[in-house]
Amino acid sequence: MNNKKINKVLGNVIFYLGNIIVGLIFVSPLLWMLASSFKPELEIFSNLNSLTTFIPAHFTLQNYVEVFQRLKVFTILKNTLLYIGIVLLGDLVLGSMFGYALAKLKYRFRGISLTIVIALMSMPVEAIILPMYIEMAQLGWVNTMMGLTIPFMMNCFSIYMFYSYFISIPDELIEAAKVDGCGPVRTYFSIVMPISKTVFATVFILDFVSRWNDFMWPFLITTGEEKRTVQLAVQIFVGVSPIHYGVIMAVLTLASIPMIIMYIFMQKFYVEGIASTGIKG
Amino acid sequence: MKRVFKTLGVLALGSMLAACGNNAGATKQADTGSEGSTQASESKSAEGVANVTIWSPTDTAAIEAWWTEKIDQWNKENPDIQVKREAIDRADAYAYENKITTATTSGNLPDILYVDGPMVSYYAANGITVPLDSYFPADDLKDFMPSTVQADTYDGKLYAIAPTESSVALFYNKDYLDKAGIPYPSDTDIKQAWTWSQFLDNAKKLTTADYVGTNIIMDKGEGIIYALGQFFTEGGAQFVSDDGSKADGYINSDASVKTAEYLNEFIKNGYANLDPVKDEFLNGKAATLLGGSWNIADLEKSNLNWGVSYFPVADDGKAASPTGDWAAAITKDSKNPDAAGKFLQWAMNSDNIASYASAVAKPASRTSSYDKMEGWDSGARALMKWQLQNTGVSRPRTPSYSVLSTDFSTAMLNIFSGSNAKDELDNVAKNFDENYEMYYKK
Amino acid sequence: MEAKLSKKGKREYGDNIAGFIMSSPALILLIAFLIIPIIYTVYYSFFTYQVVRPDNIKFNAFNNYVKLFKDANFYVALKNTIYFTVIVVPVQCILALILALMVSSKKKGVAVFRTLYYSPQITSMVIIAVLWTILYNSNANTGLINAFLKSIGLQPIDFLNNPKTAMNSIIFMSAWQGAGYQMMIFIAGLNAIPGEQYEAASVDGADWFAKLIYVTLPGLVNTIKYVLMITLIQAMKLFTQPYIMTKGGPRNATKTLVFYIYEQGFQKGNFGYACSIATVFFIIVVTLSIVVKRISRTN
Repeated sequence: MNNKKINKVLGNVIFYLGNIIVGLIFVSPLLWMLASSFKPELEIFSNLNSLTTFIPAHFTLQNYVEVFQRLKVFTILKNTLLYIGIVLLGDLVLGSMFGYALAKLKYRFRGISLTIVIALMSMPVEAIILPMYIEMAQLGWVNTMMGLTIPFMMNCFSIYMFYSYFISIPDELIEAAKVDGCGPVRTYFSIVMPISKTVFATVFILDFVSRWNDFMWPFLITTGEEKRTVQLAVQIFVGVSPIHYGVIMAVLTLASIPMIIMYIFMQKFYVEGIASTGIKG
Repeated sequence: MKRVFKTLGVLALGSMLAACGNNAGATKQADTGSEGSTQASESKSAEGVANVTIWSPTDTAAIEAWWTEKIDQWNKENPDIQVKREAIDRADAYAYENKITTATTSGNLPDILYVDGPMVSYYAANGITVPLDSYFPADDLKDFMPSTVQADTYDGKLYAIAPTESSVALFYNKDYLDKAGIPYPSDTDIKQAWTWSQFLDNAKKLTTADYVGTNIIMDKGEGIIYALGQFFTEGGAQFVSDDGSKADGYINSDASVKTAEYLNEFIKNGYANLDPVKDEFLNGKAATLLGGSWNIADLEKSNLNWGVSYFPVADDGKAASPTGDWAAAITKDSKNPDAAGKFLQWAMNSDNIASYASAVAKPASRTSSYDKMEGWDSGARALMKWQLQNTGVSRPRTPSYSVLSTDFSTAMLNIFSGSNAKDELDNVAKNFDENYEMYYKK
Repeated sequence: MEAKLSKKGKREYGDNIAGFIMSSPALILLIAFLIIPIIYTVYYSFFTYQVVRPDNIKFNAFNNYVKLFKDANFYVALKNTIYFTVIVVPVQCILALILALMVSSKKKGVAVFRTLYYSPQITSMVIIAVLWTILYNSNANTGLINAFLKSIGLQPIDFLNNPKTAMNSIIFMSAWQGAGYQMMIFIAGLNAIPGEQYEAASVDGADWFAKLIYVTLPGLVNTIKYVLMITLIQAMKLFTQPYIMTKGGPRNATKTLVFYIYEQGFQKGNFGYACSIATVFFIIVVTLSIVVKRISRTN
């Protein structure tokens, strides 16, 4: 009995100590970024060889003030969210339908469609970005919201996530719906979708993060301050001489905060969602 | 979150009506999704009004304010020519060029395009920009720095016009020089500037456990050829032939290889970092800095005890210094080149250049502008101006410049990390000649 | 059309119609904005095309490909891509598994630790790369990691400027950034292993290591396969890190295929040639995906 208790306490100590140490090491680069964003420029590299580098000795908000003076933060946020919103709409609605069809409907070309999705999943956008732009120009979509969003509305990785989730839904459930006279499309929307919140949440987060972090496409396809998105705004501070790291750290921190907040709020759904897509493979 | 899912469900159902029977109420909501997606394209011009769009890289707050003010003023005074500027956000010069490249493939260039000095010939040779001679006659050009006109001219014609210039000088930390017992180099007499040997020797003496002797690397792109290129001129080398058509025998000449090896002494021996943080000197982590005119304002604001001297000269006294800055050009896609030209004439007049240059704290390209600018008679600024007028040399002018710049920067970085200088520069020559042969040979 | 379908009976007919309806919007978008650009890419790979001269495109048949197969840089890029993939996939997956084992219990505060490990994943690779370029700085006076190495008495390492360490530095950073995602999948996989199996193993006197080998790992087979597949696919695309941190150097040590495509097409303007590299890359990637798909299906 006593032995067991000791074991349990020991287990807890190892668990917390281990995780705290590894966790701190893990986030130390981000902590350093955060700390540096509150330091005057000359303090950033002044005490690297001691742990005090993680604490701003002369705390200042100047770097943030500079970011807010320089940027129309509200416009940037609005642009980014609009961009993400439209992309997500396509991804969550059309992508999930496709994923369901691939997983549960025995229709023609299903096999080849699945192969196409998997093959395209590994296609890096950077390799075809110029032809994509040429196509946008032919459509007259350069510097429009359509050009910015529509090409990214469909994301093979999301389709695959939906596919792997829907495959795990028991066939009996779908059969039962059929017996009740529900067509496959109806079955999907009234029976399958409501029980699939977690996968939607997962795709939502993954897509939100990757669009939030997208730089190359918004950079090429849009022009000008009114259309500026978050990652473009970050570039300003990295690109204009003289370079000041304090401000860079502040803008990097600001650009990461919304993602971290969103993640914390959606964590519960998210873990379950990944769970359901991952294990069935 | 629940609401999101509900809306999504409704939207999806709306579009699925045909398949699943009887859901009438959803259609309206389904439409709202697409409404926000079409944004008004360029506003249609009223009759007789010429619209002129400008692209230039996003700049410091002061320059952004200058643009807003000047464009407002112009648009009020010239109702028939309405100008709009788009700031292009970019992390480096290469990214900005990628944006231009992309727009070129489909005729989406603006009327006026700011381009980095050495790219002028690339864009001109490819017919992307049009000559500006009619807007800036030879008489007017006399007022500009010789290096500006040189950089902006290709094949005998003026293809761009730069409001500002740039120069690189040697900044030093007085405290560190005192500690090492090194006398300050002169900022009034180039004969007492540091020579190559002195520069190397002093960098060695100045290197300590806490800071390096010098900082000579600006970035891993265009900054390499910009800042280090003039060492090659001083060393008696030339990047390409005078007509810009050949690199073999120039970039890989003996003089060139020797210069590259000289520069590598700094990196190899640890007198300079290959990958310095951008404000190493400001932070007291480097004793000297090959820095630009844009560093001056920043240093003045700091508590650093600093001084400035000339860009190091060759041991035989031969002096050169980097020059060049972003210049405005008119593109082939412009529908109103004359309107654009008129605007440029105004934007590049002596007064406007003076206020622009003051805002960015860079040397003006027009000599007459200095009369209207404060602080350019002494100290670091006067030295920069003197260098521009006396030792400034523009970067090589050739249509294959982008290949030269990319490969030269790669080659130098490779040399710095241990490659053989001759092999690397041979490779630059080979790639350059191949590119010229393929696209520009007449 | 209808005649053909009706042979298969009513149910399949319904499935067919529904299948077409549900997949066509997505498929149309995929074809329009992914497959058409790929077709363009393949098409332009047979031309001499200076990128800013769309008015002057010359058909050159297989010249680009002939040049490609003789191009030493192409093989270097191919080798680097393979090297990165082969190393980063196991490193990242093992790291993720270890993290998952550390936070799979139901103890209080476990969500906080999960968030810590996941946080690099939420930050954009662009941001991470900018940050780590500073952290990796070769000088102990300006680079955090080297300052640490120096303070524990080690020699500073020139992480990104030494051809021997540059790619490994990128691998380390990428694994750090990406592991959080795979960790989540592993946590899910671990939770799905029935508790009775562990109890049974305990009864048999198994210690934690034996449980790991005989219960945990076999229970995770599907998860591991899935994780390997998605990590592999991500790894082949490596671009942002060399683009921001090393520009493909030093001495081509971090030049990957995607970076090389970018460098040739954008930077040097050899768009036709870049398209030929991209085409070869597509062939490799598609083949790989199909093979991976086959493997995961047969088991």
